Amino acid sequence: MNADVLVAGVLTGGLYALIGLGISLVFGVLGLMNLAHGEFVIGGAYLASVLVIGAGWDPLLVLPLAMLAMGLLAYPLQRFLLTPLLRGGKAAPLVATFGLSLLAQALFQGAFGIDPKALTASYADSGFSLFGIRVQTIYVIGFGLTVVLCAVTHVVLTRTRAGSAVRAASADPGTAAILGINVDRVYAFTLAGAAALAAAGGVVTGIAQSFSPTSGLPILLTGFAVMALGGIGSVSGVLAAGVVLGVLQSVSVALFGGGWRDVVVYLAFFLVLSLRPQGVFARKAAA
Amino acid sequence: MSAPLPRRLAPGATLLLVVAVCFVATPQLSGGSLDLGVTILCYLAIAQAWNVLAGFAGQMSLGAAAFVATGGYTTALLMARASVSWIWALPCAALAAAALAALLSVPLLRLRGDYFAVGTLAISIATQALISNWQWAGGASGLTLPISEVPSGGRLFQLAVVVAAIGAAVTLYVRQSAFGLRLAAIRDNEPAAAGLGVAVFRHRLAALLLSSAITGLAGAVIAFQFIVVSPDGIASVNWSLNAVLMTVVGGAGTVFGPVLGVMVVYYGLTRELQDQQTFSEVIEGVLLIAIVRFTPQGAWPVLCSLARRLAGVRPVKPAERAGSATSTAEPSLEIV
Repeated sequence: MNADVLVAGVLTGGLYALIGLGISLVFGVLGLMNLAHGEFVIGGAYLASVLVIGAGWDPLLVLPLAMLAMGLLAYPLQRFLLTPLLRGGKAAPLVATFGLSLLAQALFQGAFGIDPKALTASYADSGFSLFGIRVQTIYVIGFGLTVVLCAVTHVVLTRTRAGSAVRAASADPGTAAILGINVDRVYAFTLAGAAALAAAGGVVTGIAQSFSPTSGLPILLTGFAVMALGGIGSVSGVLAAGVVLGVLQSVSVALFGGGWRDVVVYLAFFLVLSLRPQGVFARKAAA
Repeated sequence: MSAPLPRRLAPGATLLLVVAVCFVATPQLSGGSLDLGVTILCYLAIAQAWNVLAGFAGQMSLGAAAFVATGGYTTALLMARASVSWIWALPCAALAAAALAALLSVPLLRLRGDYFAVGTLAISIATQALISNWQWAGGASGLTLPISEVPSGGRLFQLAVVVAAIGAAVTLYVRQSAFGLRLAAIRDNEPAAAGLGVAVFRHRLAALLLSSAITGLAGAVIAFQFIVVSPDGIASVNWSLNAVLMTVVGGAGTVFGPVLGVMVVYYGLTRELQDQQTFSEVIEGVLLIAIVRFTPQGAWPVLCSLARRLAGVRPVKPAERAGSATSTAEPSLEIV
């Protein structure tokens, strides 16, 4: 065990936090478990791959475009499919997002094939030394991006008018609607925002690792683990949870070997879910 | 229940008749159709087990695969490592799956709604990951059953018929009994059910154990059919997904919904579109979305009301139905 392992864990954890943030946002505001979030992430990576692999662009230049595109795709999805379902009951929207996830996997497979792809960049595999600790460049970039996006999300939610509308719709959609907030639009913007965050995570994932049409599920579960650990609707909790999970994973890989990295995450997730459904880092119960 | 005794026994008698017909017809069937039959019946058993848990008891599980894997691996380990005969391996598979469910019930039953769904999903993925790392059970490449000991052909088909019939019998029981009514009460309004004296935890646990045991049995039959159990085959998340898909398409919370769903999804889609897997997945995804969007109660109830309308029967108003249900439910809602 050395500092390299810990730092690598912290940096990977940043990526997990980015993935968990969107899930937490959607569940916090809409009360929806989005089983298609993993496909939002992979979708972002695939969208970016069109320009990166096809036209040779730099992945980080494509990142904002991928975020925008995923947001635009997610908006009508929420507005015309999921919001009407949310009024019906609990199981229907969950099953619908599950259907979306199947559909998206099939579309990825049809459009891009089943072979794993990666977003090529000069900084994908390179590393450098930081205070004597070896780090991988892409994970440093990813961590920085996560911190920035978490900060932006936090500021938007707490300091802007749009953020107030989101929080109002989250607390009490009925009253928010009476006060003139267009709840349907707020919901759609929330999913669009979450999808954009997912796409950012997807591009970074795509640079750091390879991805295939079925990569979404483990990503989804990692995201759920982050949300369960961090508590719902808490941006700083999500960031802390991502880092904890990343460290836990890289320490267990160092101790037990690579096969155990996912087992540890899922077991930690399950333990937290059963012992503290409201999250370890959350102060007030949201479940 | 107020229905006269012969009418209450009719569904069970019909089920026995169907099983008998399947047994008699077995020698007439070709090897290919027997194999197809086993596949469909296993899907049916898993879908029915899921229906008991999610449709009747309202606990959306995404973890059927964990119990399929437990049943399959228990069978494989007992037969390959301990030379146990399949007759004994089969009940052990059901017991092992129920034991896993009992073990997990402590944390799992604290969860409600979406949390339960995600918790079960995590369990099924964790099971798959654990099995891949478990070298004694064959690790990632899996375990081969002793092929000469495994039931095959007609006997395997009959076994699958029995397992699916057990699933159907449990569904019928849940549909008709006070136990099922109490489950439905918990599903529809847990605080109210608890207030009326329904032991919520015990009923949710019973539904989970029953459902897991049936799923484990199906897992054993799948192990017999596959011969090789592996993390990517018998522990694949697809089992969970198909259980949800088939039941929701057919109609969750109904007896015939899963039967219809399995036929439509497996026979209509998976098999017909086997050569175009991508296309078949697209259709499955769209179908699932369309069903929950336009007929959230599934295809079977819609077909039933269509048939009733065609026959000119006045549809039963929900209020009347609810009224009769409460009147029959009252005497059976004892304090438990």
